[in-house]
Amino acid sequence: MRAWTRLLALDLKRLTRSAGTAAAVILLLVLGTYGAWRARQNVEAAEASRAAAETAYNDQLDFLLSVYPPTTEAGEVLYYLAFPASQPRPPVAALARGRAAVETENLRIRLLALEGQLYEHETVNPRLAAAGTLDLAFLLIALLPLFIIAVSYDLVSGEREGGTWNLVRLFAPPRRLLAAKLASRAILVGAVAAFVMAAGAVMAGIGLDGRAGWMFALVALNTVFWFAVCLAVAEGRQSSVAGAMILAGIWVVLTILAPAALSLANAVLHPVPEALELTVHQRQGYHEAWDLPPSATMESFYRDYPEWSDQDVPEDVFTWGWYYAMNHRGDQAAREASRAYRDTLRQREAWARRWSLFAPPLAAQLALDRLAGTDLAARLETQDAVRRFHERLKAHFFPDFFAATPIDAVAWDEVPVFEPVTPAESPARAGFPAAIALILGSGLALGVGARRAGA
Amino acid sequence: MHTSPAGLTNTLRIARQQLGAVREDGAVVFLLALVAALGLVAALGARHQEAEESGQRARYQAMVDRQWVEQPERHPHRVIHYGFLVFREQAPLEFFDPGVSDYTGTSIFLEGHRQNTANFGEARHATGLSRFGRLTPASVLALLLPLLVVAAGFAAVSREREGGTLGVLLTAGATPTQLLAGKVLATGAVGALATLPVALAIAAFIWPGLDSPASGVRLGALAAIYGVYLAGWVLLTVLVSAVRTSSRSALAQLLALWVVICIAAPRMAASVAGALHPLPSRAELTAQVEEALNQAGDSHRPDDPFFRSLRDEYLERYDVTTVEDLPMNWRGVVSYEAEAVTSQIFEDHRQELVAGHLRQNRVMAWSGLLSPYLAARDLSMGVAGSGPGAMEAFLAEAETHRYTIIQRLNELHMHEIRYEENDRSQRLRPQHWAEFPVFGTEPPPLGGVLTDRSVSLAALGLWIGLPLAGLGFARRRLSRVGAGRSG
Repeated sequence: MRAWTRLLALDLKRLTRSAGTAAAVILLLVLGTYGAWRARQNVEAAEASRAAAETAYNDQLDFLLSVYPPTTEAGEVLYYLAFPASQPRPPVAALARGRAAVETENLRIRLLALEGQLYEHETVNPRLAAAGTLDLAFLLIALLPLFIIAVSYDLVSGEREGGTWNLVRLFAPPRRLLAAKLASRAILVGAVAAFVMAAGAVMAGIGLDGRAGWMFALVALNTVFWFAVCLAVAEGRQSSVAGAMILAGIWVVLTILAPAALSLANAVLHPVPEALELTVHQRQGYHEAWDLPPSATMESFYRDYPEWSDQDVPEDVFTWGWYYAMNHRGDQAAREASRAYRDTLRQREAWARRWSLFAPPLAAQLALDRLAGTDLAARLETQDAVRRFHERLKAHFFPDFFAATPIDAVAWDEVPVFEPVTPAESPARAGFPAAIALILGSGLALGVGARRAGA
Repeated sequence: MHTSPAGLTNTLRIARQQLGAVREDGAVVFLLALVAALGLVAALGARHQEAEESGQRARYQAMVDRQWVEQPERHPHRVIHYGFLVFREQAPLEFFDPGVSDYTGTSIFLEGHRQNTANFGEARHATGLSRFGRLTPASVLALLLPLLVVAAGFAAVSREREGGTLGVLLTAGATPTQLLAGKVLATGAVGALATLPVALAIAAFIWPGLDSPASGVRLGALAAIYGVYLAGWVLLTVLVSAVRTSSRSALAQLLALWVVICIAAPRMAASVAGALHPLPSRAELTAQVEEALNQAGDSHRPDDPFFRSLRDEYLERYDVTTVEDLPMNWRGVVSYEAEAVTSQIFEDHRQELVAGHLRQNRVMAWSGLLSPYLAARDLSMGVAGSGPGAMEAFLAEAETHRYTIIQRLNELHMHEIRYEENDRSQRLRPQHWAEFPVFGTEPPPLGGVLTDRSVSLAALGLWIGLPLAGLGFARRRLSRVGAGRSG
């Protein structure tokens, strides 16, 4: 045991003394600290944005009530009023940004046709978005493995080429030597990963809940997976140079080629023509109504809301009930296209998740976004919540429209508020498939390594 | 440089010998085939997607145009709310480098009283996979091809040194310049070979459109950009191979450089640009716009101060006492003036956002000095017509178009509709709808694209200049090796 720890300590010293390793460790620590600082900024920006949406609603309501005469019909003022629908992301979203830069968490919804309001996006600069995100998830899932490769590609071949292998074998069994070398590298990599995760968690104010736990577990499993891959390659008899090329090749395939190829295939297999169709249909459905008798619009409105079918909407004068029913007609016209659009996105999401399991680090990356609530599925869940919110707003205000309630008689304090969704999937379900993929992948790599060593 | 026939022969001889060594390396041959195949797949995939999208766009544009012209008799203000959808025309080389187009919408809904954002960029429908980038011909050339160059050339000089053949070569008559030139030539040839399928595919796709001189020039410019970019990688690879003591450390160093230049630096630059010049969030921006609109006043409110003073101004100008006596429809005037005011507010805020984007993009451009990958991509998307400039131009033109059409409708309201307490029952004949201009955009001219990107051009110049200078230094060191052997 003493001999083993001595071996380990010796190797750790040897490892950290290399200028290249030291440079890489410093680079990773700097990137990790920077990433943690950015995570903190993201949290603050999200809070500011949420506050702005909330304040804007209150300000707008105060303003409208102050400039419109109290006898104004509610329908007129509600044309201008946008209700905040803020879906806060879990704290861990600061670590795995996913689509967070593109999608806004703070939609504001008016009582008009909904479909045109659902797809508002964040004020992202496309040039920055196209360059890719450097969040801690990317650092830990994609870049850290390069460090693992850099310290492990010559695990055995380095000793062989340096002429030390046979020498050391005289004093320690090769298995033990290899174990010591692996352990020293695992300690180094683990320390770097732990520092980065701890920095991120502290800076972004993340408590250790199920989500954070699963995220850290996936990062750890991904690290184990890459060590297994390195070991599998190291067990062969190729030169250090060939080992480095093979490992770099595996990294490129798993980290760049697999996702790019899968994205391309996904886009080709599941095209989304519905996106434009729903805009066109909604516009047409709403505007046609102006050229139809109100009763025609109301008839289709009552099909969705039979509870109001006893309302009497006059044919010859403008009423707000009719106006908002026309807006509803726009949503009705877009309904098919909207559903088809969502179905396609769900197919894309499911397809990507299924096929990413063949490239375990990719599955891990997608699972991190899932756990952080920054993926496409989370977006769709939010949209559904906004749909429900819009319905609740309608249920609240339509009686006022039909009764031509003046604004001073509207119960503004009882206006429904947006209810954020809690993800349908438990953290365990979100993280489990990727964890299994990483474990199976590691097992497979070790198996291959054992065969190569035996050959 | 030796230009004598003997020098050239020696250079070619060394290049041929190096190519022979590369050919025997299974890994390099495999990589070559892989990169070539990926280039082809990327080109085919991009082409397929482009064809699909432009087909879709054409279909919807036709549908929207038809709906516009086939509108029934309508009050012009009704038509202002009806609005219309415009689409961004794809640049001819966008399939080669989609640039930022995934992150900007391709369509924008134009209507009165508000400025919408462009929507439904491909990134909005994409899964988390896309964060690693898309497989496009441009990304194959800029991201993957350097790896092939590194694999083919990292051992070019170092292996000779390790095998002891370096001294032999240098004393047998080859000068260091010929040696390095031969190695550069051979490594470059491998890289060039890999680009062949992509180049052929692009030429085949673009062929029918080549008769427009612009796209021929653009194609040439793209070839030059990627030629210089890859030449930089070739020079760097041979340089590192010449100065490192072992092939192993040369490879490790080159791979590390690739990771930093192509993977880490672009993302880091984007992150730093965002941190240095943060943008207001959508929620904050809408709140600001709302505030400004509230202050400006609202034409729909009867006692709004702004529109009261406007009325007085008109009454005075036309020397009448009531709006009924004005020579035009007062409601139309109000709508016209209101549109002018609100459009200005929307436009000011949009411009502020654009200015923020430009500040961030400048950080990206300067980062090109550290990451030639960024510089090459910046130039590439600019030339392809898919850069940020082209997208901003689309949004600006869409806004101009929107404003023109809305104000023309307001003019119709002013002059073709009689003023009365409720003029909504009056309608215009459908013939009017056919008299509106159609929307179209052109990618920014090539000259402007390049002069706007002087930093990126300089970065590419440095990218090739620095390794060349380094090779000069390596040449002197090698000549000492040669002298040492012969002496």
